[in-house]
Amino acid sequence: MSSSDLPALAGAVALALGTLAPLLRLRLDLALVLQALGVALLGAAGAAVLFGAAPIGSGFHDGIEPALGIDRLSGFFLATIALTALAALLYARDYLPGHRGARPLAALGGLFVASLCLVVTARDASLFLAGWELMTLAPAAAILVRGHDAPVRNAVFVYLAVTHVGGAGVWIGVLALAHYGALSGAGTLAAHGSGPEALVLVAALIGFGTKAGLMPLHSWLPRAHPVAPSNFSALMSGVMVKVALYGLIRVLFEWAAPVPLWAGLALLAAGLLSALGGVLYALFQHDLKRLLAFSSIENVGIVALGLGASLVFAWAGDPTWATIAFAAALLHVVNHALVKACLFLAAGSFERAAGPLDLDRLGGLLRRMPWTGAAFLVGAMAIAGLPPLNGFASEWLTLQALVHLAFGPAFGLGIAGMIAAVGLAATAALALFCFVKAVGQVLLGAPRRPEVAAATEVRGGMRAAPLALAAGCVALGAVPGLLLPSLAASAPNHVSLAAAPIISVPGAGSFPAPWLLVGVLAVTAALWWARGSRRAAPVPAWACGQRIDPRLGWTSAGFTKPVRLVLELVLRPRREIEVTEEGGVLRSVAYRGEVPHLFDSALYRPARRRALQGAALARRIQSGSVRAYAAYLLVLLLVVLLAVRAGVIG
Amino acid sequence: MSGATAAAAAVQVLGGVALAPLLPGTIQAAKARMQGRRGPSPLQPYRDLRKLWGKSVADPQPTTFVYQVAPPLVAAATALALLLVPIAGVAPNWGLGDDALVLVGLLALARFAIAASSWDSGSGFALMGSSRDLTFAAFAEALLLAALVLAALPAGGTALGAMARAAGGSGPWSEPAHWCGAAAFALVLLVETGRQPIDNPDTHLELTMIHEGPLLEYAGRDLALLQWSAAARHWIVMVLAAGLFLPHWGGFGTQLAYLAAGLVVLCAGLALSETTQAKMRILRVPGLLMGGCLLAFVGLATGLLGASI
Repeated sequence: MSSSDLPALAGAVALALGTLAPLLRLRLDLALVLQALGVALLGAAGAAVLFGAAPIGSGFHDGIEPALGIDRLSGFFLATIALTALAALLYARDYLPGHRGARPLAALGGLFVASLCLVVTARDASLFLAGWELMTLAPAAAILVRGHDAPVRNAVFVYLAVTHVGGAGVWIGVLALAHYGALSGAGTLAAHGSGPEALVLVAALIGFGTKAGLMPLHSWLPRAHPVAPSNFSALMSGVMVKVALYGLIRVLFEWAAPVPLWAGLALLAAGLLSALGGVLYALFQHDLKRLLAFSSIENVGIVALGLGASLVFAWAGDPTWATIAFAAALLHVVNHALVKACLFLAAGSFERAAGPLDLDRLGGLLRRMPWTGAAFLVGAMAIAGLPPLNGFASEWLTLQALVHLAFGPAFGLGIAGMIAAVGLAATAALALFCFVKAVGQVLLGAPRRPEVAAATEVRGGMRAAPLALAAGCVALGAVPGLLLPSLAASAPNHVSLAAAPIISVPGAGSFPAPWLLVGVLAVTAALWWARGSRRAAPVPAWACGQRIDPRLGWTSAGFTKPVRLVLELVLRPRREIEVTEEGGVLRSVAYRGEVPHLFDSALYRPARRRALQGAALARRIQSGSVRAYAAYLLVLLLVVLLAVRAGVIG
Repeated sequence: MSGATAAAAAVQVLGGVALAPLLPGTIQAAKARMQGRRGPSPLQPYRDLRKLWGKSVADPQPTTFVYQVAPPLVAAATALALLLVPIAGVAPNWGLGDDALVLVGLLALARFAIAASSWDSGSGFALMGSSRDLTFAAFAEALLLAALVLAALPAGGTALGAMARAAGGSGPWSEPAHWCGAAAFALVLLVETGRQPIDNPDTHLELTMIHEGPLLEYAGRDLALLQWSAAARHWIVMVLAAGLFLPHWGGFGTQLAYLAAGLVVLCAGLALSETTQAKMRILRVPGLLMGGCLLAFVGLATGLLGASI
């Protein structure tokens, strides 16, 4: 052990103590401070390695002896986890007291953060898989602490079932890699032929893809994220899905590298489906947290587009663009972690202050909660990919990579790149649509419920945490170029990029993020000044002379109706109108409309039905009679002996 | 800084700020002539702007600073976008670069600000307009990107200056990709300028407004800023169309003349389409835009095949 390991070790100890503290009946504050100290030290150690310090701890090995270590990629993910977790802990300081089950939630929060850190620092298969399972179970327990009525139990069951069925892929992939000795040495997998390679790649894509929420394996995500306590939602959407992407990156770029072309194209396709599908379903959500969960799927899709493009470029022998696409993906990881945590935490504050988060029943919260509202506004603009905020920087880089793919190392790849680029452009426009709607319905206009009109701003950490994250979005948006070389350096076989505030990539015009920020602010301020303060008497908005009633305000369904109608063939919206008449007099009109989640009805429900049918079949051989089981054993033994004799096994 | 760069910078600023209102004015005047009316003079937008600048603004109740900051923000984003557009193949460096995708981002920022303002005022007509505008934008942005990729293909990157230079001369016109790109960009031109058959800029019926709808509540200097921004968006897309997809040859001076001629041709073309086309059903528009997208894909396919043969 060297002295450079000390901060990381101290951090791990502090995090462990902080996790145990709530169970020992110590003060809640103390536990959260210990957790924060621990994760801050771990994050600092990770950031030091990311920005060029020597790697800490051991390297990967194929045995089962536990080993820990931090290299550049781990360092990046540790730092991202730390940034998000610090904000979540700051938030939890004022959110948890008054929340049902505060102590268990504090302990589970510590456990969750520790498991996230464990996955990215594990250096052998056993610790990796242990951390992986803990990371899945801790939020499930937290959701059940928060509430356990039937819909929540169902959400937790779907979450555990889907992530475990998919998670089998992680076990198969990682254990197979360890078996072939590929964890410690890159390139050893290919020596075993294409069979094991295909097994590992498919298993990893399914396993990590499920946990990352890539479509069509995402079904658990929009169920589980909204029902978790807000500080957990922030960590789940902000970093847990990213840690799954970390696993995917390790497999595709390191352990199984160099991967065949189909893996890159599969990732591109899944990324495009997730990006477009995620944002499209986000658009039609009525619940703010569900909307945010679907938007996480979209952003994971954008990261997957960058990673897929990087794999394809690497296959085509273009290391420069492979590096740029990889760095773009990592930049989007940290951007989305900050933004989504900010939005989820702000959503939690809205829920605390104004009650249920039904979008059609909020409104006007920017006046009631100016600080939280401002943080939410900045976060929404960042996630909509607007310059000069951070979301634009990573989407710009990803889009550049896809456009260059369209220029084509080969005909098919060019078309694939163009499809992905056009899809990403449409995604960005739809994300703008989705988040302008969210901002409008939550923050602007007139309040549509008495509780909303009487909401008061939250205090302390609940106010500070989203604001700090929003400030992070602005800062990262101003100087993404300074971060880029370190991100690029964590890619295997990377080409080094220059550190400059102005991002420029070969062939493209430059993207001068800081000047864009200064320019937008300065010109807006100048025009604001020129606009003057002379204003006429306040007037109501124009509604053909009628009075505007807040209850008649536009709904989510109304605002998105054009998209719903245009994409009717794809989305299959449902709509029911019931008119009750009595003696020719209209008594009531009931309207119900929804955009059903087609993946559920067309994919998961039939799969579940088949699984239950299969289980019913299997039950037939379960007679309960001991003699029957003895007969099964005998038959099995005979079959095995015959197989050995025939040389099939053994 | 060379003379050409200085001249291009001057055209960007002076042309973008001062000449931009002339474009919608010219289109209106030409349209009136084609329809056998006398119509307003091409200078009418300037008179409107002067009149509006002298009036006080009106904030509907209840609104927040989002509503008030929207017009300056829209104008600022559009003004910065103006500085990215190369003039006659020369892209002066204002420190903002000349990347096509940054330009797309700035226009999106303006769209966000105006749509947020319509939620803030809560006006039904404004929200109807922005809802439609945002729906079109999802398809228009895809189409715009597809057209830009085709224009960027010969230049090997999305720097607008290089793209405009690569589009010069007669070479590009032997490529089918360029023709497809030009056709796709023509649709972009119609969407971004809000012209028939996609939107009717002359409508006075709130129910049919798309781009005008969200402006309904604004008055005075706010409205002046927004109307100038609409005119500047005409300038941006028309100068881009002339630079990327209309023929131009020669040095800076000659190209400047081609640019002026190109703008006249585009104004006439838009006036013609306004005269001959009726407004489309709103739900038909995305289909039209997707058709343009498909055309761009065909163009890219021919371009890639041409490169590989």
